[in-house]
Amino acid sequence: MRLVTSWLREFVDVKASADDIAATLGLRGFEVASIEPDINHNGDGDAVIDFEITANRPDCLSVLGLAREVATAYDLPIMLPSADAGAKSRLATLPAGTSEWLKVTLEDEDLCPRYAAAIAEVTIGSSPAWMAARLQAAGVRPISTLVDITNYVNLEIGQPMHAFDLAKLAGAEIRVRRAKPGETITTLDGVHRKLEPDMLVIADRDRAQAIAGVMGGAASEVSAETTLVAFESAYFTPASVRRTSKRLGLKTEASSRFERGADPGAQALAIQRAVALMEQITTGRPLGPIVDCAARQAEPKRVHLRRARLALLLGVAVPDADVERILRSLGLEVTRTADGWDAIAPTFRVDLLREVDLIEEAGRHYGFDKLTATFPVMTQPAPAPDARIPRDQTVRRVLTAAGLSEAVTFGFIEAKASELFVATTPVPAIAVANPLSGKFDTLRPSLLPGLVDAVAHNRRHGRRDVRLFEIGARFAPDGETRGVAIAWTGGGSAEHWSAATREVDFFDAKGVAEQLCGVLDVPVRFKPLREPFLVAGLAASIVAAQATSRTVADGPEPGAVIGLVGQLAPAVADARGLPRQDPVFVAELNLDRLERARVAASDATRPLPRHPFVIRDLSIVVPDALPAEIIRGTIHAAGRETAAPLTATSFFDRYQGKGVPPGAVSLSVRLTFQALDRTLTDAEIQQSVDTILAALVREHGAQQR
Amino acid sequence: MSTPQPSPESVAALVAQFETELAQARTARDAQSVRDRYLGRKNSVVASWMQLVASAPVDEKKNIGRYANELKQAVEARWTRYSESAPDAAPAGAVDVTLPGRVPALGHRHPLTVVRDRLEEIFVRMGFTVVEGPEAEDEWHCFDALNMPADHPARDMQDTLYLATPITYSDNDRRTLLRTHTSSMQIRHLQAHQPPIRIVVPGRVYRRDDLDLTHSPAFGQIEGLAVGEGVSLADLKGTLLAFAQQMFSPTSRIRFRPSFFPYTEPSAEIDLSCWQCDGAGCAMCKKTGWIELGGCGMVHPAVFEAVGYDAERYTGFAWGIGIERVAILRYQVEDIRLFYENDLRFLEQFPY
Ligand SMILES: [Zn+2]
Repeated sequence: MRLVTSWLREFVDVKASADDIAATLGLRGFEVASIEPDINHNGDGDAVIDFEITANRPDCLSVLGLAREVATAYDLPIMLPSADAGAKSRLATLPAGTSEWLKVTLEDEDLCPRYAAAIAEVTIGSSPAWMAARLQAAGVRPISTLVDITNYVNLEIGQPMHAFDLAKLAGAEIRVRRAKPGETITTLDGVHRKLEPDMLVIADRDRAQAIAGVMGGAASEVSAETTLVAFESAYFTPASVRRTSKRLGLKTEASSRFERGADPGAQALAIQRAVALMEQITTGRPLGPIVDCAARQAEPKRVHLRRARLALLLGVAVPDADVERILRSLGLEVTRTADGWDAIAPTFRVDLLREVDLIEEAGRHYGFDKLTATFPVMTQPAPAPDARIPRDQTVRRVLTAAGLSEAVTFGFIEAKASELFVATTPVPAIAVANPLSGKFDTLRPSLLPGLVDAVAHNRRHGRRDVRLFEIGARFAPDGETRGVAIAWTGGGSAEHWSAATREVDFFDAKGVAEQLCGVLDVPVRFKPLREPFLVAGLAASIVAAQATSRTVADGPEPGAVIGLVGQLAPAVADARGLPRQDPVFVAELNLDRLERARVAASDATRPLPRHPFVIRDLSIVVPDALPAEIIRGTIHAAGRETAAPLTATSFFDRYQGKGVPPGAVSLSVRLTFQALDRTLTDAEIQQSVDTILAALVREHGAQQR
Repeated sequence: MSTPQPSPESVAALVAQFETELAQARTARDAQSVRDRYLGRKNSVVASWMQLVASAPVDEKKNIGRYANELKQAVEARWTRYSESAPDAAPAGAVDVTLPGRVPALGHRHPLTVVRDRLEEIFVRMGFTVVEGPEAEDEWHCFDALNMPADHPARDMQDTLYLATPITYSDNDRRTLLRTHTSSMQIRHLQAHQPPIRIVVPGRVYRRDDLDLTHSPAFGQIEGLAVGEGVSLADLKGTLLAFAQQMFSPTSRIRFRPSFFPYTEPSAEIDLSCWQCDGAGCAMCKKTGWIELGGCGMVHPAVFEAVGYDAERYTGFAWGIGIERVAILRYQVEDIRLFYENDLRFLEQFPY
C-alpha cells in the first residue's frame, strides 16, 4: 500500500516526518518496503511510504485504515470522513430509498449480503491535477473523472467501487445473481470469458455485465459519451471472490481486497464520498437516493477482554488507561467491566474475532519493547530426543571419521536422473504435481542420484578424490524412509610421498558399510547383486544376518535387504556428467530398517582372558569361485567341536598364480585359539587345527599348501 | 687471527668465511667455537672491529661503526639460522621430519548440519527436546490445523508443492504435499503428547520457488514450541534472547516487530541486533542495526482447539528460524546455492 503522506494528514494531524512515521508503523506491524521522499520535487515534504500489508489487515489497504494506526501510535485524534462543511474528507448527504432510475434485485444474499447503488448525471472529462497526482503517487493511473473517483474512494476508505454506463444496462436494472450455465462475458480487459454457475455476476435484465468483485464488463463500460452512471458499492464474500478469481486466473485490485475481506459496513459511506468528490470536481450530480440493498446488517463483533488474561499472555501488565486508549483509537467501543472490558469491534476490522486478537492490539501498540525477557518455568525434566537424532549423529561421526564429507541435496530430482537408478524390482517414483522446474519434478526414491550429481560437480571442478555422504529422506508410494548414502571416487588411500596411491575399490566402500553396521550393532551379510545401475560382479546387497542375540521385536527378518554397495555403472556415470573411466563406488542403507535390526547388546564388559592365546596360520588351495563366507562358515562349524576353543578367524592373504592351479586360489587363514580357564597345550592345538583342516578337505576339497 | 680493515668488501668476505667454517664444524662444540671466534665478547672479529670504532678518528667513526654493525648482524643472523636447523650429527635411520606425515582422512559436516547441531545444543540446554517429522505431509497437518482452512488467503502466502500421487500409509493417512514449514510437526507432537511441552523441530521444508542467489525450493528450518500453564510472550523473548546471546554474541539483543502468522497471535518478526556493528548500522544489517531472523508468536487458540487442547488452561509460544539464514549470516555466504552444490572446496571450510 503506497501511502501518500499529504493524503494521510487529511485524516490525522501528525507533524512527524515520513521517515519517522515509517519507522513508527514499522514497529507496529507494517513493514516498510520503501520510502520516496519529496514526491513533488518542491520540498513540501510530501512523500510516499510503501507499506507491506499483512493478510489479516485488509482495512489498512486504505489511507483511512493506516491513518487510524498513525493516530493510535502518535496518540492523536482521527478525523473521519464527514458531512461537515469543513471536513477534508467530505461526504455528500444522500438519503437511502428506491430509485426511479434503477431497480436493484439481490438474488444471492449468501455471496453478496449488501449491494448499494446510486445514479448520477455526469459530464466525463479529465480529473484535476491534484487528484491525478495523488492517484499517480499511490500507483494508480488516472483515466477519467468517473473512473478516477471510484479509484480514489477505494484508496481512501478501502471500498472497491464500480461505475456502469446506465444507458447500457438493459431494463435499467441490476440483478445480483449467479452465472447461468454457459453464460459468457467480455471483461474490461477485452477477454471473452466463460462463467460457471457458482460465480457471482452483476447482470442487467438480460445478461451479465460484471463479474462480481473481480472485473466489470466491456459492454457497460463508462466512456467519454456516458451521461448517466450507476455507482456500485457492494460487499462480496471473500471465499466467493477468491474462488472466482482463482478459477478465471484473473486477479485485480478489487478482487484482492474482497478476498481478504472488505468492510461490510462501508457501502453507503463510499457512495457518499464518491458523490461529494463528483461535486467537488464538478463532473456530475446525484439523481435520487442511494439504493441500499442489505440482506442483513453487518453485525459488529462483541469481544470480552480480561485484564488477567492480557497480563498472562503478554507477560506484562498493560495499564488500563493504555488498553482503553489503544482500543478506542483503533475504532473499538470499550466499556470497563469488573475483570476487564467489553469491546465492540468495528466492521472494518475483520480480523478482530476473539479475546486474543484484542490482546495483540493492546500489546502491539503498547510496545513489545516493554516486555521484560523472562524464562518459562520448567515443571518437568525434558524427555529423551527422537531416537533418530543421536543415531544420525553417530552415523555422521563414523562417516566423517572415514574421510567422507557431508552433502545436502534436494528432496526432489529430475525424472531423468531418477530413471537411471531404477532397480530390477522397481519402486514407482512420485512425481511433483506442480513443479516449477523440470530439474525438481520427482521425489527422490534414493539418495544416490543427488549424491552422484554432487560427485560430478566436484569432478568437473578438477577434484580427483571425492568422498561424500548424505543422510536424508527418500520417498516411495508406501512411505517416507530415512537413508544414508556414500559415494567415493579417486584414491582409496590418501596421496603420500612414501608410496603410490591405491585407487578406490569395492572393499573400500564395503568397509565403510561394514563399519557403519558394526557401530550400530547390526549383524549383516553381503550377497552378490545385479542391478542395472551397478557394475555386475562388483555389487552386493546388504542383508540382515541371522541375529546372534535377541533383536528388537519388529526388527526385519534375517535376510531382509538393508542396503546395497557397488560400483556405479559407467553408462550411469556418463549420463550424469562423470568421466566414464572413473570408477565411482556407492552404497546406500535404509537407516529406519537398520535401526530396527540393531542387536540389543549387553552393556556389561567381558573379563579380560588370563590365559594366553595361540595363533596358527593355515594355507589352503580351494576353487576360486567358493565364497570366503562359506569357508569361514565351515571353519566356524568345525571350530565348535575342537578341543581348543577357536576365538577368531581372519583371511590374511589371497593368492593366485605360480604354484596354484588355474581356477583355484590359495587362501591364508589365521586361526586364534584361546581358553578362559587354562593354558592350551600343543597337542590340543594341533588336534584342533587338524580337525578344521579335515573339515575343509571334506567340504571343499581343500589342499594344504 | 689477523682481521682486515672494515669495508663493504671485508664484511662480505668475513660473512662468507664464517659460513664456510660453520659448515665444516663436525660437532656442536666445533660450531660454538667458530661462533665465539666471530661473535665472542673478547678477541673476536666483531669485538675487534668495535674497538676500532672507539679508537678511530672522528670523521671515520661513523663508517667504521656502520660496517661493524653490519658484520655483527649478518653473522648473528647466520648463527641463528644454523643453530635452529642444524641437527647434531644425524643418528642412523633419521628421517626428514619436515616431510608431510600421513594425515588420516577426515570428512567435514555440512555447514547446515554444523548450524543445526549448534542450534539444537543451545535449545537442549534450555530444556527443549529435539524431535523430527515427515517431509511429505497432508493438508490438515500443514494448513487446516494451523488455522489456515482452505480458501484462507494465508494459504497463498506459501506456494506449496503437491504430489502427483499421494504417499499412502493407510486408507486415512495419505500425504499429498511437501511441507512448507516444520510447523506441521507441532501439530503431530501436540496430538501425541500432553503439556508441558518444550520441543525444537529441525527439518527440511519445501516451497514452490526458483533456485537463485537468495531463494531455494528446499531449505532447512528449525521450529520451537513451548506449551504449558502461564507461558507468555515475555518468556518467548527471554528464550530467544538467551539463544541469540549464545549463538551470535553475548551482547546480542532481540526485538519483536509485530507481524502476522495465522497460527500465532500475537505474532512477531524476530530481529536480532547486528553483531558486526552492535546496532550502530553497517553493510551487513543494511544500516538498520537489526537483522531479521525469523518469525514467532503465541500459539493461536484455534491451533489448540484443532488438537483438542484446553486453550483456556494452556498457552504456548512458537518460533521458526531458517537454518540457511543463520548459516548465511554466520559464515557470510553470498550465494545460497553453495549449500546444495556440495563443492568440497566449500565443505572443507567447515568443522569436522
Ligand atoms: Zn550492522
